[in-house]
Amino acid sequence: MSSQFNKLLACMGFFVPPVVLLLAGCAGDGTGLDANGRPITDLPGANGDFQEIQDTIFTPVCTTCHVGAGAPQGLRLDAGNSYALLVNVASAESPGTLRVSPGNPNASYLVQKIEGTAAVGVRMPANGPPYLPQDRIDLVRRWIAAGAPMTSAPPDRLIVTSTIPAVSEAAAPGLGKLTVIFNANVDSSRVSVDTFTLRDASDQPVRLAGVRVPTGRQNVVELTTAAPLAAGSYQLSVHGDGPAPLAGESGHVLDGDADGKPGGDMLIPFDVNAGDVR
Amino acid sequence: MIRPKIFARLLSVFALITFAGTANAEPYLAAQMGLKCVQCHVNPTGGGMRSVFGNTFAQTQLAAKKIGSDEDLWTGQVMKFLSVGGNARANYSFSDVPNQSSTNDFAVEEARAYLDFGVIPNRLSVYIDQRFAPGNSTNLEANIRYWITENGAYVKAGRMYQPFGYRFEDDNAFVRQMSGFNMQAPDEGIEFGFEKGSWTTQLALSNGTAGAPEVDDGKQIVARTEYVGSAWRMGASAAFNDTDVGDRMGAGLFGAFRVGAVTLLGEVDYFDDDSIGAAGRKLMASLVEADWKVLQGHNVKLTFEWLEPDTDVDEDEQTRTSLLYEWSPIQFIQLRGGVRMYDGIPQNDLQNRTQAFVQLHGFF
Repeated sequence: MSSQFNKLLACMGFFVPPVVLLLAGCAGDGTGLDANGRPITDLPGANGDFQEIQDTIFTPVCTTCHVGAGAPQGLRLDAGNSYALLVNVASAESPGTLRVSPGNPNASYLVQKIEGTAAVGVRMPANGPPYLPQDRIDLVRRWIAAGAPMTSAPPDRLIVTSTIPAVSEAAAPGLGKLTVIFNANVDSSRVSVDTFTLRDASDQPVRLAGVRVPTGRQNVVELTTAAPLAAGSYQLSVHGDGPAPLAGESGHVLDGDADGKPGGDMLIPFDVNAGDVR
Repeated sequence: MIRPKIFARLLSVFALITFAGTANAEPYLAAQMGLKCVQCHVNPTGGGMRSVFGNTFAQTQLAAKKIGSDEDLWTGQVMKFLSVGGNARANYSFSDVPNQSSTNDFAVEEARAYLDFGVIPNRLSVYIDQRFAPGNSTNLEANIRYWITENGAYVKAGRMYQPFGYRFEDDNAFVRQMSGFNMQAPDEGIEFGFEKGSWTTQLALSNGTAGAPEVDDGKQIVARTEYVGSAWRMGASAAFNDTDVGDRMGAGLFGAFRVGAVTLLGEVDYFDDDSIGAAGRKLMASLVEADWKVLQGHNVKLTFEWLEPDTDVDEDEQTRTSLLYEWSPIQFIQLRGGVRMYDGIPQNDLQNRTQAFVQLHGFF
């Protein structure tokens, strides 16, 4: 039996490399894709230097590794997360240094990493050379020196760019914190528990215990529920209408329904999985 | 008492008898020789410091020519309970990216030192792998390893590379980048290992944060097992990472065989990563490598890699083809050179770059 098993394994061992070769294919021809290899869509996006950094550096170069749960140092640089995880956030590798210190490129760990002057670790991108061209590094420096805004000019509208959990995402059991990320800084004086509504599957409101705009991250709002959410379906509404519509620093009311005009609620359905709360 | 000279000769003869080909610190060499990783590395899963066996072999079998006398054999043991080792790689590289000016530069790819405090010989060790360049000092591995039974079962705790697939020297290989299990991203946790007969098996539990501080209660489990035959080998890996931003699970199959002077390796990995974007992403990568031992101390390596970054998106695949020559003229020195050609979607210049490099690799 053992001998036969070994022979079977031997056959499989001999076949692994050829089978792997057969599984492989050619490079894609890029039909219907943008420069980052993602399907072309007409979704609205932010504009300005940061978007250019995202489109020409983070997405095509950095997300080879810095994406998802396995992102090195927990730094996810995909479009939905990069800004919130960079600006005024301490580096995991060098906790005394901010990843992006608005107004101070030299003190920003991001700049140190892409220029190869960081005190810890290798120069980024880790698979370089080639490293980033000087004009891309200059773009990052210029953006940080200008205060690291999400957009280079006040946007003509305020939209939600990402949420945690994401739309239709199934979150882990015991979820008690929701995060909403906007394309521009919000007016914190207009952020309250009345700006948001959380309802369960039976359309009953779920009490929110707190709402805050983290210091130095004015485009982020964090919501805390009064208790961990039970398993089930939920929907978070971010109000652009009603008695307490959310607005940006520039005064634009949230374009929640993405019709290009101020007003309307942004609806974020999500689920909470059943299971033990860790 | 055995005199050092006789001991060195015995080690040399033992290595000569045991090994059939050349050796270095890459999976193809283990496959070429029909050995497990633990044979030449103090780390049972390979990489890092070489064992007395590995160091002896590097001097007697790896190089085209050995200089110096037999009694000068380096074993890594500088005193009874302490072994040291290191790797340094100095590169001259050329890179050509479409629509950009080509670049070329000299750079230190890595300079690392290993310390192994074998406080109870063959049973209990404290191991440190520290990278000193590029950049400032960075700890890559720091762990305590205890062999519950000598060369049978062990437990390892601390910071360590995670056991998944083949531990290729090239961390930029698609299978190592896509899986995230490489020598740039150690994790902190605990690993159990079992070495029995032709089998080598590991089970690891770690934070799953790729070296960053833990941010949630979820943990990562990685398992790897491999059957190691004299002319062929085959194994499988699996990983599951439970995080608040989404679960990530993957599996891989790998194997190798030797035909004469040529060794063929293959690995294919698949990951379902719910932590990428709102909808998650399914990724796949594969690698096939052929190593031809032209002469002792001379190796030609041809590698073809394929990456499918999102199985739900068509025409986004990438390939990478490498042709390398590795020459080990004398012990502990290797001169490597070659070309890597990337092929991807035409609208992304970086995915279509070509790189060439010459590397001087010193190790002990």
